[in-house]
Amino acid sequence: MEEKKPLSHHKQESEEQHSSRREFLQKVGVGSVLLSAGAVGFQTLRSLVPNVLYESARKFKIGLPTQLSEGVTFIEDKQLYIFKEGKSFYSISASCTHLGCTVKHTKLNQPKEVEIHGEKKTITSEFHCPCHGSKYYADGTNYAGPAPRPLKWYKLELSPDDGQLIADMGIEVEQNFRLTV
Amino acid sequence: MQFLNQLTALYKKLTWTWNPGSDKEAGDAIVKNVLLHAFPNKVSKGSLSWKYSMYLGTISFVLFVILVVTGLILMFLYVPSVERAYSSVKDLEFVVSFGWLLRSLHRIAAHLMVAVVFLHMVRVFLTGAYKNGKSVGSNRPLNWIIGLGLLLMTLLLSFTGYLLPWDQLAYWAITVGTNIASSAPVVGDKIRFFLLGGNFIDQNALIRFYVLHVFFLPMIVVFLFVWHMWRIRKDGGLAVVDQEALTQKPEKVIPVKSKTYSLLGITNGSSVHVQTTMVNEEENSVASIPNLTRRLWLVTLGTIIVTVILSIIFRAPLEAAANPAVTPNPAKAPWYFLWLQEIVTISTIPLGFVTINGALIGGIILPTVMICLAVWWPYRDPSGINSVGVWFAPERKKQNRIFIIICLFIIIFTIIGTFLRGPYWNFYFPWEAWPTMPVKY
Repeated sequence: MEEKKPLSHHKQESEEQHSSRREFLQKVGVGSVLLSAGAVGFQTLRSLVPNVLYESARKFKIGLPTQLSEGVTFIEDKQLYIFKEGKSFYSISASCTHLGCTVKHTKLNQPKEVEIHGEKKTITSEFHCPCHGSKYYADGTNYAGPAPRPLKWYKLELSPDDGQLIADMGIEVEQNFRLTV
Repeated sequence: MQFLNQLTALYKKLTWTWNPGSDKEAGDAIVKNVLLHAFPNKVSKGSLSWKYSMYLGTISFVLFVILVVTGLILMFLYVPSVERAYSSVKDLEFVVSFGWLLRSLHRIAAHLMVAVVFLHMVRVFLTGAYKNGKSVGSNRPLNWIIGLGLLLMTLLLSFTGYLLPWDQLAYWAITVGTNIASSAPVVGDKIRFFLLGGNFIDQNALIRFYVLHVFFLPMIVVFLFVWHMWRIRKDGGLAVVDQEALTQKPEKVIPVKSKTYSLLGITNGSSVHVQTTMVNEEENSVASIPNLTRRLWLVTLGTIIVTVILSIIFRAPLEAAANPAVTPNPAKAPWYFLWLQEIVTISTIPLGFVTINGALIGGIILPTVMICLAVWWPYRDPSGINSVGVWFAPERKKQNRIFIIICLFIIIFTIIGTFLRGPYWNFYFPWEAWPTMPVKY
C-alpha cells in the first residue's frame, strides 16, 4: 500500500501537467482566433480611412492683387471671404464656428460703434449665420447666437512666380494679419 | 482565465443547439427555436385590445416593410454618385412612371415610422410595460433597451437617407449633423473625418451614407426586430398579460393539449405557456388565428392606406442641387431633429475664458444623457408589480408626469423649429411674413 502512494501521486501530477498543457493550448487557440479577428477588424476599418483625398486644394491662387475689387470678394467653392482695403489684404473663413454653415457678409444700413476686445471701433458690416442666427463683427469676432469662437482668419501670400494672391486655408493667422502689396 | 471561461460560456450559449449534450438539451433546441416563437398559438383578450397597445409596434413593422419594398425598387433607379445622384432623383420625380409615388411613399413611411416608433415608446412607458411581472424568466428591461436601439436605428436610417437626393436640404442637414459629431472633445474631428471619408461632404460621404442606409442599418434593424419579438414571447407576452394574471384567481392549469411541445417545455420548466399557469387560458384567451391575424391584417391595410393617401397629398420636395457655397436661409435639419437644433441654438455657454459649443451640449451631451437615463430607468423604477401593463397606473403618477413633460418639451421644440423659425433662425409667428432673402452671397 505504501508503495502505491507515490505512484498515484505521480499519476496525479501528470494529469495536472496534462490539464495545464490543455489549458495552455486552449488559450493559444482562443488567443489566435481573437488576434486574427482583431487584425481583420483593424484592416477593415483602416481601409475605410482614405490615404489620398481627391478634394480641392487648401492652398490656391486667387488672382492678381490688382484684379480684385476693393472691399469684399467671396470665393464660393472655398467658403472664404477676401478683403481688400487699398493695398492691404486679409481673408476670413465663411464657415460658422458653431456648425459650419456659410455665414453671410451683411452691409449695415448705418455704421455701428462697437467695442471689440476693449477697443472702440466703427464697423460698417457684419457676418450673419443663416442656420442658427450667430452674429460676428466685421473682424469675425462672435457677439451673438450660439457661435463659440471667432471666425478663422487664413494666411494670404504672394506667389513668387506670377505675383498672384495665394490663400492658404491650412494656416490660421491672428486677426491683425494684413498682407500689404 | 475568467475571460476565457466567459468566452467559452458565450460560445456554448450560441452553439449548444447544434451540439446538444443531452436529450433534454436536444428537446430544448427545438422548443427554443426562434422561428417557433415568432407567432403565438393563443393570445389573451387583453393583449388583443385596441386600447391597450394601439398596435403601434405592428404599425412600425408594416411601415418598415413598406420602406424595404419601396427602397429595394428605388435602388434600381438611384445612382449614388455626386454627379448623378441629384439627376437620378429628379428623374424619379419627373421621368420615371410612378417614380414620384415610390419616392413619396418611401419618404412618408420614413417620417411616419419615426413618429410611430416614438409613440410606441411613449405607450410602453405610460403602461409600465418595460417592467417584469411575475412570470419566470422575463426580462422586459432588456426588451426596452432593444426597443431604444430600434428607435436610434430608425433615426439613423432617416438621417442617412436624407443625404441621398444630394439637394440643398440634404447637403446642409448633413453639414449640421456631422459638425455636431465633430464638436465632441478630442476625437470629434477624427469621427467626422471617418464618417465623411474626408474633410468635406463629397463622394466618399455619399457612398458611405448610401451603404449604411441600404445595407448595414436595415440589417441591424432586422436583427433587433427579431430579438424584440422573441423577447416578447419569452417575457410571457405583452405586459397586460401579467395584469390579467394578477386580477384572476390563481388556478392550477394543466398543460394545454393544443401545444405539441408542452411536454418538452415541462421538463425544461421554462416554456412560456407553463409559466403562465395562473391565467385560465381557456376563458381569457382566444386562438391567434383568426383573432389576432384579422387585426394584424386590418392594421396593415390601414397603415398602407394612410401612407398612400399622405404620399399623394404631400409630395416629396426636391430643392436645388447641393451647393456648398450657398447655405439656404433658414437651414433646417429634418423635423425629428429640429428639437435638437433648437437646443444647439440656445445652449452655447460662455465660461469666462472658454466657451462651450452648444453643439457639444445639445448635440452630444444631452442626447447621450437622455439615452443613458432611458436605459437605466427600468432598473431603478420603484413602482410595484400592480402597475405593470396598466395605462396611467396611480403608483406611477409622478414618473409618468416627468416623462410626459420631457416628451412635451421635445414635441414643443420640434413644433417651434418646424413652423416658427425663419431666416437667421429668428422667431416668426405663422401669420408673419418672412423677409425675402437673397439667394446669392
